[in-house]
Amino acid sequence: MTVAGTAGPAQVASPDIARRESRRRRGKRVDRGYPLFLLPGAALFLVVIAVPFGMNVWISFNRWQGIGPMTWVGLGNYRRLLADSVFWSSFWHNVLLIVAMAVVPTMIGLVVAAALFDYLGKKFGPRTASVLRACLYLPQVMPLAVMGVVWGWILAPGNGVLNSALRDVGLGSLTHDWLGDPKSALYAIMAVMVWIQIGFPLVVFMAGLQRIDPVLYEAAELDGASWARRFRHVTVPQIRPEFYVVLLMCTIAALKAFAPIYVLTHGGPGYSTDIPSYFSYQNFFEKTQVGYGAATATVLALITLIITAVFISLQFRRRDEED
Amino acid sequence: MSVYTARLARDHTRTRPRRTYPLLVLTGFVILALLMIAPFGLVAMNAIKTSTDYAAHGPLALPRYLSLDNLKAFWNLVDFGQVLLNSALISGAVAILAVLLSVLNAYALGIGRVSGRTWILIAFLIANLLPQEGLVYPLYYLAKQVGMYDTRTAVIIIFTVIQSAFGTYLLSSVLGAFPREILEAARIDGAGTWRILWRVVVPVSRPTLTVLLTFFFIWTWNEFLLPLVFLVSNQNQTVPVALGVAQGEHIVDVTMQAASGLLGILPAVAFFLIFQRTLTRGVTVGAVK
Amino acid sequence: MPNLIGRATRRASVTAHMRNQAAAVMPATGRSRRTTLIAVSLLAATTALTACNSSGSGSSSAKTLTLWHYEAADSAMGLAWSQAVKDFEAAHPGVTVKVETKTFEQLQKTAPMVLNSSNAPDILEYNKGNATAGLLSKQGLLTDLTPQVTQYGWDKKLSSNIAVTSRYSNGTMGSGGWYGIPNYAEYAMVYYNVDLFNKYKVPVPKSFADFTTAMDTFVKAGITPLANAGAEYPAQQYLYDLALSKADPKWVTDYQINGKADFHDAAWSYAANTLTDWVKKGYIAKDSVSLKATDMGSTFESGKSPMMVSGSWWYGTFESEIKNFTWDTFLWPGSGLVPGSGGNLWVVPTKSKNKQLAYDFINTTLQKDVQDIIANKGAVPVAADPADVTDPKAKKLIQNYTTLAASNGLAYYPDWPVPGFYDTLTAATQDLINGKDSNSALGSLQTAYQQGRSQ
Repeated sequence: MTVAGTAGPAQVASPDIARRESRRRRGKRVDRGYPLFLLPGAALFLVVIAVPFGMNVWISFNRWQGIGPMTWVGLGNYRRLLADSVFWSSFWHNVLLIVAMAVVPTMIGLVVAAALFDYLGKKFGPRTASVLRACLYLPQVMPLAVMGVVWGWILAPGNGVLNSALRDVGLGSLTHDWLGDPKSALYAIMAVMVWIQIGFPLVVFMAGLQRIDPVLYEAAELDGASWARRFRHVTVPQIRPEFYVVLLMCTIAALKAFAPIYVLTHGGPGYSTDIPSYFSYQNFFEKTQVGYGAATATVLALITLIITAVFISLQFRRRDEED
Repeated sequence: MSVYTARLARDHTRTRPRRTYPLLVLTGFVILALLMIAPFGLVAMNAIKTSTDYAAHGPLALPRYLSLDNLKAFWNLVDFGQVLLNSALISGAVAILAVLLSVLNAYALGIGRVSGRTWILIAFLIANLLPQEGLVYPLYYLAKQVGMYDTRTAVIIIFTVIQSAFGTYLLSSVLGAFPREILEAARIDGAGTWRILWRVVVPVSRPTLTVLLTFFFIWTWNEFLLPLVFLVSNQNQTVPVALGVAQGEHIVDVTMQAASGLLGILPAVAFFLIFQRTLTRGVTVGAVK
Repeated sequence: MPNLIGRATRRASVTAHMRNQAAAVMPATGRSRRTTLIAVSLLAATTALTACNSSGSGSSSAKTLTLWHYEAADSAMGLAWSQAVKDFEAAHPGVTVKVETKTFEQLQKTAPMVLNSSNAPDILEYNKGNATAGLLSKQGLLTDLTPQVTQYGWDKKLSSNIAVTSRYSNGTMGSGGWYGIPNYAEYAMVYYNVDLFNKYKVPVPKSFADFTTAMDTFVKAGITPLANAGAEYPAQQYLYDLALSKADPKWVTDYQINGKADFHDAAWSYAANTLTDWVKKGYIAKDSVSLKATDMGSTFESGKSPMMVSGSWWYGTFESEIKNFTWDTFLWPGSGLVPGSGGNLWVVPTKSKNKQLAYDFINTTLQKDVQDIIANKGAVPVAADPADVTDPKAKKLIQNYTTLAASNGLAYYPDWPVPGFYDTLTAATQDLINGKDSNSALGSLQTAYQQGRSQ
């Protein structure tokens, strides 16, 4: 209640005026030439994405080794894919990977961004906050090939960094073959992915926070709102656009994440860390069954597209309702 | 209870923790930050080891003596100066062009609210959600058709489109919440659509644009698959592709790999640190009262 | 409530915002102009560089031989080939060899695309086997070298066991035209730590029974006898070694060439069960499942493992890097067949612009001085003069090879019959080491084998 009082002058704006305003806006929108701004993007999209994607779909109806003549097999590749248990059972791993690459980093990133911006930044100066932000962002910069080697050292059985550290602090009983045990391998990868991903939401959110009018925070502080209250009532609602974007982009990244799997476990032990995108990659480049690979890529793209479409229409409906 | 007394009461009970709390939080964050960058220390440590030292004592032992041989050897082996220049050119060009493209797209979608914008946006996002391995063969044939196979230009164009998908989405979400009143004010002042974009929308969104620029640069810097396929000649190669040289068919030269990794990370880190300063400066300009 | 606040405060701040805008826009114009400047100059630089690049590669003079390989500069092959380049340039005045070191990964993934373009090199090193050189030959991307083989007499230098991987008929090795020429050979053996063997008074095994006795001794002393890496090829080679110890050359031909494999036959079942058994007995560490080949090598190099079974490609590395103990090798006891084959091939792309020079270069690499370098640097040459091999270890390496080649003892590698079989094998051996049912592991191999064969 206390916070609401600060908004004093704005209460003048009656719903009536707002309605009139929005009607005026709608009337004027029509011909400002906005669609023209889409032309360069649309043209490039057509050449670099739409046509190749169409070709990919075409390839998926063929048996093909990448070079030379194709053999038309119709829906053969899709029929084979439907029956391929390795592909479908690996989807469950992808759900967990979405948790590790999208849900957890977005949540942590949100809290950390707010803490750095609205707490540490104010107590110890913005420089402290930006140094910490840089450190947390750094994993995003590491090339994946190097990342695979380093985490291999850390998670190595026997005398890996993690196991040695556990032994040093007297937790020797917890040492484990992190990437070798099918029960722990996926969780180990999830931990690595959290490490990699945190920096992305953090930087986006901190940039978003700078967009917010400082008046909001000042007003809330003047009213004695605690950090947690400011987080809930100022940070979270104001940063909502970025929040949606980060969550969706990280989810998409998780659905495409063959490279970390490739450098860490190759999908093993057994198939315990296999995911559909790695499966697709294998067919393209290791088995040179390009037609089958194209079918898996098409199916993956469609699934991701559906998730994206649902997500965005929800996001926009919510925003339009708020407007 | 009045606001004032409530605050007083709270202040009173919190006086002691108030002094220690921030320090505790800071310590926590510093520890977290150190844990996050610890793996980089491991890379650096092994980059300056000799391979004999590594063979005898493993990756976790401190280097017996400092050796820059691996760094030098890798530099010469892949002509790293050229590789660095290629990566910088490609990433730099992609970052700028993709931000530009994102701004144009997002202006129409977020501010212009072009009809069907939700679907247009989803269509643009296909560029990002398509598995890249599915694009490899088609793009290879297209590039060969127009004589752009094994050129950096092809890679720049492809990544400009792929990266701008994210930029379009982020920017049009942010611009969707752009204060209409500012636009109205500018229009009343007689500014046209084009002028409003450059004089009002772009300056106000600068922090977000800097973030995009930074991301695009670093993402493109680390891209692996498409440069691997498209940049065949050594003179066109990028850093992540060159890193693979340390990995033979059967044997990996780990210290060389660490050295190459260190050389590969440093420029991107430097880039981020430079732009991170711009980021903060951008804020202070925007926040001038 | 939060919404209400949000909306109200947003309104409140609008006026402040509008005022800010003037302040924000002014300094921004200078900045944005600078950014634009940087952008434009960067773009200009790119176009300039790209332009000069394309003109440079377009005019390929007949006096340059473009050569690609992926061997380390200080490896046996790297050293031998730089000698070959010198010899070649001396014999061909006016011709320069442009050597480009490629990454193994890049060539493996992109060779079909590169060789199908005008950017193909004149000659390159490429992997032998059905899934690699075989596939390229089937796609018509490689020159059939059969006329040159007779003309230069290469077939007289390469033993028939080696030549198997040079010849492909419709993509399958063993017969048909010659599509590649190897410079060296390779085979798997047991590397052992002589110091540890002496310390625990273990004699060098002569029979399979000796071998297991030796391992028992180490296990009793608390030492894991065999270094292993489950995430890459080493574990597959243990499995294959075991299967080969119960197989004959016909079994190998059926498996590798004829597409007739029964993973539930005596050899495979024995191999799978024995591997599981060895893990139980502690011969192989269970926690080696996630290790890579490099980790296995490091374990052996650090002196912790008494034995390691792997290919001759470690020889040179061990010779230069192991300083703390003495090591030696012996062949897998009690088996006439071991994993091994001719080495990687020199292939000439169909689109090569200097084929004659490429043939001449291949011929140079088969000359005595180049082959002697390969021999003395710890690899197995195909045409070296035994009298020139000075190093005793190198002598033994070559002697063992000669014995194997004479008895048709090279059984190739387990992942060769089907493209992408490597990953299936890795998954199956990991399951075996982790103690999963050997029947289902072998079953998955059977499915993938048939699936791949029908492509």
